[in-house]
Amino acid sequence: MTGTFVEVAAVPRPRAVVTARRPPLARRAARALPPYLFLLPAVGCLVVWTYRPLGAALNLSFFSWNLLPTTPKEYVGLANYQRLLDLPDLRNALWLTVAMTGALLLFTVVLPAIVALWTSAIGSRGRAVYSALIFAPVLVPPVAGAALWQWMLDPRSGAVDRVIGHPINWIHEVRPAQIAIVVITGWHLLGFAVLVVAAGLSGIDDEYRNAALLDRASRWQTTRWIVLPLLSPTLVFLGLMTILMSGQLTFPLIDTLTQGGPDSQTTNVYYLLWEYGFQNFDTGFAAAAGLLFFVGFGLVALALIRLSDRLTFHDS
Amino acid sequence: MIRRRSARGAAAACALALALGLAACGSGSGDGDTTSTTSANVVPELGPDQKVSIVFESYNLAQAGPWTDTFTALIDDFEKTHPNITVTAQKPQTSTLKGYGSAATASLQTQLATGNAPDVAQLTFGDLAYTVDALGARPLDDVVGRDAVQANFAGAHPFAATARTLGDVDGKTYGVPFVFSTPVLYYNADLFRQAGLDPENPPSTWAEFRTAALAIRERTGKDGSYIDCLTKVSGDWCYQALVASNGGSVISEDGTRLTFADAPAVAAVAMAQDLVNSGASPKLSQDQAYPAFARGEIGMIVESSSAQGVFLRGAAGAKPPWTLRAAVMPSFDDRPVVPTNSGAALFLFGQDPAKQRAAWELIEYLTSDAAYTQITSRIGYLPLRTGLLDDPNGLKTWAAENPLVKPNLDQLARLRPWVSFPGKDYVQIRTTMLEAVENVVYNGADPRRTLTEAQEQAAKLLPRS
Repeated sequence: MTGTFVEVAAVPRPRAVVTARRPPLARRAARALPPYLFLLPAVGCLVVWTYRPLGAALNLSFFSWNLLPTTPKEYVGLANYQRLLDLPDLRNALWLTVAMTGALLLFTVVLPAIVALWTSAIGSRGRAVYSALIFAPVLVPPVAGAALWQWMLDPRSGAVDRVIGHPINWIHEVRPAQIAIVVITGWHLLGFAVLVVAAGLSGIDDEYRNAALLDRASRWQTTRWIVLPLLSPTLVFLGLMTILMSGQLTFPLIDTLTQGGPDSQTTNVYYLLWEYGFQNFDTGFAAAAGLLFFVGFGLVALALIRLSDRLTFHDS
Repeated sequence: MIRRRSARGAAAACALALALGLAACGSGSGDGDTTSTTSANVVPELGPDQKVSIVFESYNLAQAGPWTDTFTALIDDFEKTHPNITVTAQKPQTSTLKGYGSAATASLQTQLATGNAPDVAQLTFGDLAYTVDALGARPLDDVVGRDAVQANFAGAHPFAATARTLGDVDGKTYGVPFVFSTPVLYYNADLFRQAGLDPENPPSTWAEFRTAALAIRERTGKDGSYIDCLTKVSGDWCYQALVASNGGSVISEDGTRLTFADAPAVAAVAMAQDLVNSGASPKLSQDQAYPAFARGEIGMIVESSSAQGVFLRGAAGAKPPWTLRAAVMPSFDDRPVVPTNSGAALFLFGQDPAKQRAAWELIEYLTSDAAYTQITSRIGYLPLRTGLLDDPNGLKTWAAENPLVKPNLDQLARLRPWVSFPGKDYVQIRTTMLEAVENVVYNGADPRRTLTEAQEQAAKLLPRS
């Protein structure tokens, strides 16, 4: 039986389209929603308290206005920014902010690290007393602390000048006033920073140290090559905190003790901003300054976070 | 729904109140003459059973001690005599107390921006222009009528003539002058004696002031003198007196040109700088200086009499106690002393007619014979109703026991008003000027160059006309 195969055109068969039935949009949305719902309160607060005011500030920075409903808002374009950049006060304040922050790092990074490393050797009960003593200044309200220091720094009857036996007017002379502001802020922050470093230290696994001891590493070698690298994320965090918060932290002291003087030599950018916005009623100008600082500090924070990723050594 | 309706009702009530308020103030505007406003335009008297509550803001409530005690007592008295009016007395809403005057204005500014201003506020004369132009203080001549305002200035013991017009702008009374002082030279009679100086002959010129200060410093080891007029915190009221006493001014008469770098002002600041450089004055801030004087650690201080209560308490409480004396401000050689006034007037901000009336009654009470008797004897501010000092039922016995008021009173007779800078940037103009002065006096900057630079900076902030 012979035959030939003839090619027969395939009968087009209607393809059965069997697609999984997609659930209706509403149900899909309902299923995807929970994570966003969980986020909503936080995002809502951020929008209401941070982004909306930021938008308002941006808008305000193009106007000359003193916030009064009876005064007309006057559109001035970029004039506020122009005036700001021409202002010699601003450059001075910026430089002082940088210098003060740098000096503060001594109190928020270097000293706390030393204190925490030293006290880590003390027994647990003694350490509790020690930590409580160091932490106490954190609990003193800034303005009350400033008033206290004002008495202690009095040039004639103050405790400080009696101890050093030389009358220095700590508040009314340029260099001493700058030192006073930095030291008092540092005094305030030291306890908190020590606490943070101590927490960082307790997070380091003892096995590393024990292993190093087994290899007969000295105490200094252990600290230098094991503890400090593992502590670096904590220290970088403290540095970041100091740089971003130093302006706010020094503000109550500047306002209570020196009001930015003498000769504007303790006026940092925050104090300058506050003077313009709330003392001189130049809200548009202050808003422009605020935005400029926001952008500036944002860039600094970004750079620091990048840097911290590169610098720090994580214990995985 | 109910909530919404009530909100609409409140809005309508507000609009009504606003309309009434505007009607009340719009009626008399435009006339600078002294003809009386007809009684139809002014806010009506309160009904016998009409309950009103008002808010009163004063920087004298910001410092514990004689200031707060006196003011609280005054408000209590007012509420007793005016049972249908409740007064909430508050201090300026700023976190800190630096520079009472500017803090008071900033506080009012904030509250106005949120639409919730006090009905009566005590603001300084240095903020007068801004208070009227920007903050919108109500003209009293329109709200209660010029007759009522003038009648309040009269009375059994009329206001000192130089004081009456201090709260006026363009011939209209906006503020009733309330508490103020002139720059008084207070001195420590015991330190004078110890330094071999005669407490009966206080220095009358700045040259004598310097000599006396140096003598005190040399022979007692204490500080010689302090002029509380030369810093950002002290404000510019007595700095203006210093400059005016040397024949200068800080701004031209018409308010268009700054003059605080002219020769007389420069010479006045240079004099003060020399006091510091020679050691006659210590480098102190206001916060340090006046308590130090109260403790008996400084020989002389040029200060507002509002600090007199603090000085008297300090003098009595010090070990050993010392004697406080007062004299008129020293002069520049034989030029006449031109004293200025510090202090504040009472301004009305309420919109509601009932509240305006109640506020005016409070203003009347606070500037009455009874109130000044308290304010002068307990704080040390000038009794603007000077006749009280001769009234046996007023302050006569007190004045006999307290000769300290005498120099202040002498200076009231030849008062020159504390000038406020014009425009919305007036605070910045003032701060720029005072920072320059402070920098010259306490940091040794060159007087002419520093003041000229500051004046050039500040001139840009004057309103363009």
